[in-house]
Amino acid sequence: MRASWLAIAAKDLRLAFAGGQGPVQAVLLGLLLVFIFSLSAAPGDRFSPQQAMAIFWLCSSFAVVLIFSLLFRFEEENDTATALLLSPLPVQGLWLGKTLAGLVLLVLCQVFFFPAALVFLGLDPGGSPGGLVLMVLGVDLGLCILGGLIGAMGHGQGAKDALLTIIVFPLQVPLLLGGIRIGVGLMQGLPLADLGEWFGLVLAFDAVFSGAALFLFPHVFRGE
Amino acid sequence: MMASGTLLDLRAVSHFFGSRLIFKGVSCVLEPASIMLVAGPNGAGKSTLLKIMAGLLPPRSGSVQRRVEDRAMAFMGHQTFVYPALSALGNLEFWNRVYGRGLDDAGLLGLLERVGLKGFALEAAGTFSRGMAQRLSLARVLLVEPQLLFLDEPSTGLDTASQALLHAELESARTRGAGIVWISHDLERDLGRADTVLQLSGRSMTYFGPAGEFPGVAA
Repeated sequence: MRASWLAIAAKDLRLAFAGGQGPVQAVLLGLLLVFIFSLSAAPGDRFSPQQAMAIFWLCSSFAVVLIFSLLFRFEEENDTATALLLSPLPVQGLWLGKTLAGLVLLVLCQVFFFPAALVFLGLDPGGSPGGLVLMVLGVDLGLCILGGLIGAMGHGQGAKDALLTIIVFPLQVPLLLGGIRIGVGLMQGLPLADLGEWFGLVLAFDAVFSGAALFLFPHVFRGE
Repeated sequence: MMASGTLLDLRAVSHFFGSRLIFKGVSCVLEPASIMLVAGPNGAGKSTLLKIMAGLLPPRSGSVQRRVEDRAMAFMGHQTFVYPALSALGNLEFWNRVYGRGLDDAGLLGLLERVGLKGFALEAAGTFSRGMAQRLSLARVLLVEPQLLFLDEPSTGLDTASQALLHAELESARTRGAGIVWISHDLERDLGRADTVLQLSGRSMTYFGPAGEFPGVAA
C-alpha cells in the first residue's frame, strides 16, 4: 500500500507543477493578504504577535482550500476517480497520498508567506526554531488531514469551492487557535514546556481527524 | 453458492435512483474466456448495471459475487481515465505503480508500441485526439492483464483502425481466459463476438442466454 499512496502523492505533485504553475494561486493570494493587512497599520506601528500569527495562519488556511480543490480536480477531468476506485489501491491510500501532496504544497506556500510576514507584519520568529518547525508541521498536518477529507466531499460537485469554504473554516478554528497561541508563545520566548497544552490541542486535532478521515474518506469519496 | 470457475455471479439484482426503479431481477453469470454483451435501449440502466458488477455501486437489493481480486479487474468506458498533463509514458508509469506491476520503461514502451503510441510516449496526453487517448486507455488495460474486464461502449469515437485494434486485444484477452462484460451500441456488429447476451428493457432483464439464440434488439 505504501508504494501506492506514494505514487498518488508523486503524481499529484507532478500534475501540480505541470505547466510551471504549482500552487501559484495560493501563494499569490497569501502574499496579497499579508500586504493588504500590512496597510491597516499606521506607518511605524508594529502588529502585535497575535495579529501577525493570525494573519500568517489565515493565509495558510486559504491556501489549503485552494490546494485541495486543485488536487481533487485532477481526478475529475477524465473521471480517473473511477479508475482509482477500481484499482487495488485502498481508498484510504488515496486520502494519504492527497494529504501528503497537500502538505508539501502548503509548506512550499509558507516558504513565501513567512518572509512576507517577517517584512510586512514584523513577525518575529523567536529563539526556538525547533519549536517553530514543530508548530508549523503539527498545524499544517491538521490542515491537510482535514483538507484531504473535505476535498473528497466536494469531489464531483459543482459548488465544490463553496462547500470546502463553508465546512473547512469552522472546523479549522481549534487548530488555528492552537497555531496562533503557540506562535505567540514562541515569539515571546516562552519555553516549549509552557506551550504543552496548545501542542496537545494540535496533536489531538491531528489524531481525531486522522481517525475520522480513515473511516469516512471511503464513503465520502464514493459519494455514498 | 458460486459455481466453480465462474468469474461473476449476479442474483436478483435491483437498483433504484431515489424512488425511481432502474431495473429489477437481474441474474447472470460470467464464465472465464467469455464475452457477455449487455444490450438495451438508452436509459435502460446498462451503465449502472456495469458499475454494480464492477463494485463501483452497491445494488439496492440482490447479490453480486466476484471471484477476482481488485488488481485483476479493469474498466474501460467513454471516459479515458487519462491524466492530460502527464505524458503517455507518465500515465502508464503511474498505473504501473498503483497496480504494483513492476514493469520497467522498456515494458511500458512495449505496451505503448502495442497500441501504436510509442512515437508519442513523451507527449502530454492532453494533446491527444479522442482515439489516441482511448488507445492509451487500452494500454492501461493491457498493463493490468485483467481476468475480468468491463467495457462501457469503448469504441465510441474510434476510427476503424482503433476499433480493429480494440477488438483484436479483446479477442486476445478472451483467449488467455479473461471474462469480458461489454456494453455495445452496435449490437449487430458486436453480437458475433459475444458468447452470451444480457438484455435490459422495460426496467427488467428480458433476456440472458447464449448469443446464438438471442432473439433481437428490444425497442
